[in-house]
Amino acid sequence: MRLAYWMYQGTAHHGVGRIANSMRGVHAVFHAPQGDDYVTPIFTMLERTPAQPQMTTSVVSGKDLSRGTIQLPHTLREVEQRSQPDLIIVTASCSTILLQDHLEQVVEQAHLATEVLIYDANPYRMQEVLASEGLFTLLVERSATAQARTATPSVNIIGPSSLGFHNRVDLIALKHMLKTLGVQINVIAPWGATLADLRRLPAAWVNLAPYRELGLQATRYLEREFGMPALYDAPIGVQPTLAWLDHLLELLNTVGGEQGAPALRRPPLTAFSLDGESTPSSVPWFARTADMESFSRKTAFVFGDATHTVGVTKFVRDELGMQIVGVGTYLEHEADWVREQLAGYLPDELLVTEQFQEVATRIEQLRPDLVCGTQMERHSGRKFDIPAMVIAPPTHIENHLLGYYPMLGFAGADYLADQVYTTTKLGLEQHLIDMFGDAGLDYEDHHTAPTAPPEPAAPASEPAPQLNGDAPAVPAPPAPAPNGAPGWTADGEAMLRKVPFFVRGRVRQNTERYAIQQGYHEITAAVLREAKEMIGG
Amino acid sequence: MAPDRKPAFIREDAAYHSFCGLACVGWLYQKIKDSFFLILGTHTCAHFLQNTMGVMVFARPRFGIALIEETDLSRPQPELHALIEEIKADHHPSVIFLLSSCTPDVMKVEFQGLADSLSTPSLPVLFVPASGLEYTFSQSEDSVLQALLPFCPVAAPDDRRVVFLGSVNDAIADDFLAEAEQLGIPVAGFLPSTHFTELPAIGAGTIIAPLQPYLAKVAQLITNERGATLLSSLFPFGPDGTRAFWEDLAAQFGIMVDLSEREARSWAAIASHTERLRGKKIFFTADNLLELPLARFVQSAGAEVQECSSPYINRRFHARELAALDGVRVVEQPNYNRQLRDMHADPPDLVISTMGTTNPLLGAGIVAKWSTEFAFMPIHGWAGVPSLVGMFTRSIDRHAQLGKLDDPVWTAGLMPSIPLEQA
Repeated sequence: MRLAYWMYQGTAHHGVGRIANSMRGVHAVFHAPQGDDYVTPIFTMLERTPAQPQMTTSVVSGKDLSRGTIQLPHTLREVEQRSQPDLIIVTASCSTILLQDHLEQVVEQAHLATEVLIYDANPYRMQEVLASEGLFTLLVERSATAQARTATPSVNIIGPSSLGFHNRVDLIALKHMLKTLGVQINVIAPWGATLADLRRLPAAWVNLAPYRELGLQATRYLEREFGMPALYDAPIGVQPTLAWLDHLLELLNTVGGEQGAPALRRPPLTAFSLDGESTPSSVPWFARTADMESFSRKTAFVFGDATHTVGVTKFVRDELGMQIVGVGTYLEHEADWVREQLAGYLPDELLVTEQFQEVATRIEQLRPDLVCGTQMERHSGRKFDIPAMVIAPPTHIENHLLGYYPMLGFAGADYLADQVYTTTKLGLEQHLIDMFGDAGLDYEDHHTAPTAPPEPAAPASEPAPQLNGDAPAVPAPPAPAPNGAPGWTADGEAMLRKVPFFVRGRVRQNTERYAIQQGYHEITAAVLREAKEMIGG
Repeated sequence: MAPDRKPAFIREDAAYHSFCGLACVGWLYQKIKDSFFLILGTHTCAHFLQNTMGVMVFARPRFGIALIEETDLSRPQPELHALIEEIKADHHPSVIFLLSSCTPDVMKVEFQGLADSLSTPSLPVLFVPASGLEYTFSQSEDSVLQALLPFCPVAAPDDRRVVFLGSVNDAIADDFLAEAEQLGIPVAGFLPSTHFTELPAIGAGTIIAPLQPYLAKVAQLITNERGATLLSSLFPFGPDGTRAFWEDLAAQFGIMVDLSEREARSWAAIASHTERLRGKKIFFTADNLLELPLARFVQSAGAEVQECSSPYINRRFHARELAALDGVRVVEQPNYNRQLRDMHADPPDLVISTMGTTNPLLGAGIVAKWSTEFAFMPIHGWAGVPSLVGMFTRSIDRHAQLGKLDDPVWTAGLMPSIPLEQA
């Protein structure tokens, strides 16, 4: 048993809810305590849904447990009457699964005309990602029917879903590229799909499965059962997008060749821009401008799901010229795939953990110039005063913005580059500050070891950490660092204070590490100078 | 005192949307500053709290989940000593509340024994029933206060002072202290207090004045165990409720005051709001258990309460509020789909609804507002009146100013489960 504060993934029944809220005519019924209904507001609040999500909690109360009563048949009849869905998915939650109710029998007693699927999502064995992927795969397996291919080149887009990371706008980016290629979309699923749409999946020429977390297994099934060629890559970044387009054309032309259709060609790249005559992405030129010179020294730490961790790591290194100092994922079942994809990119072991504290510790140790992570890493970055941007789920209300901010395609590359640029500290200005002092910016002194920011209601027993910038007139005597590192002498401390505040934490840490290696017991100005020479500060 | 005739209310099948009782952790860990809230629960509990309480902002809040994983399911009694040590080292609390949740309830974990085995004289571990099988939203604050009662010193029988019951923020607490002083009412303190170490003394001479309407059980427990007197009045919301509350409380101390002028001044100060509320149809769908006094206030302010639903209603504890709502349709544990049908048949001007239903109602063209906001706003007492009335008028005014959204194009493609042509 461990103490948990925060989770990267939602629960299994939340994963079921994501599929139900993605599809049309599919209604999820949770056989669960009233408290488990909290998943509904996640959709209505984050996605600001203008209608009630297609999910209903069939309440199990303490009274029901003691009396042996069950609301489920009544709820099912009510859902059938109210929503007239094509399919009702029944799933238990973490507490009700322990009751071992015979849900099949209960469902039979309800005498519904509607088809009911009891989805055995064991919340102790699967979380949000596996539950949604498992359910969606099952629905595709049950529905997909062999049929003739469409007359013209077509694809299915498999994977976009409700509460997927920037999925709604990713779809716009993909649709725009497909339209430019002259390729029809046969079915998008689960986003907006009906069961009838799932039946016609095999009519497409090629499947696109850009997300590792949702749609992969279903696409593999379609490849296996119906021989449908599939493109499993996520077009994150300009070069991956170009490769993706070429690969897609190759797959389509192979199918087209069998049908005797004329080969598709890639139109000029300007055709992929919004106006049809500009560059589709500004990233290649932007990355080579003098402005971006300073980025070649900047370091990034990337943490998230599988798809975005891989895509963003490659993007910031290959296309922006940054250095990768650490990579991790919270998806343990995808760790091998991430390692394989990032062979040659990983500076050390891939961090695989579901505990955000471990990720925070790694960020604190590495002190990168940029953290690309989830909302929690954004928070950790704020805590350590390290710039952070959000590149992976779980989503937060701030990931449900109104503008067009896709992660995929040319537009996605531009968005990501903008995010990196506006999140990290500036280039030329930083040189000036490095050279000549603090530019009046040294209003906060971060020379104390990073500590948690004071909570709004900080308890009286925990004094808030000193964050004010007034340097003590008399330097404090050398204090041993908490982790057994050598202490700093007054002249060492004074010299450290001349280092710009936003890199001071890292210089302090690097110097301490250097001093330990060299066996110094205290850090004087001379040791600091030596360290700067040896390791570059 | 409680009227003899039973006020009528309907009870339905509890097919409503609201939050689990663990929600109370969101404000109580901040209110009781030397506490730690340990929930024995699952991934579900953690996911609920992080999504609804917005706790992502605090990476180290003073609450956590002792996570039940698959291997823990077969153990009869969970082993929490190591976690308690971890919490002690990291947070140095004066008290740990051990909250139950659905899964250990189903597992039949014997919580009282578990809490007792973890408790030490220097660091009490108190069992708080809060599971979503039994408790809704603010209701489990009642359980927390029941757990605190044994730690309130016993007051001498001749110690006739008031203890205000229910968590309010410091500013509201100060307002109530000042008002009591002005009326000559002696105050022993607040339950809960800001620190575990400052709990008020309660005895046979104590008058318990409930500030929050979701504390029926602890109020009863205090009267049973300590022989204290429970004030039966309106809850101090709105000019009408606040006047009744202070007049009735003063009377407990033999002080006869007439606050009619004060009430009139308070109403006059919000006249521009009550004019806008006059005749407006307002519907409460059931969520945070503040519904009865809020509906009573808004009715006094001139609105028509179409329905006042609440997760739980207690005939004795809510007697005065129920009497004041005589003639209004009051429902305990309502059915939301029945409510929806009623709203479509006779559209309200404003629905006070839950986090899960408000945007969909707005999408259907019905003006609606998150009831949760009332739980986190200073709406108590005289000072809270402008905020309280503004909560109702702001929604109505805002939507009047913005105008109706009459073309479905503005939500097209935003929600995948709605066909584009119907959006």
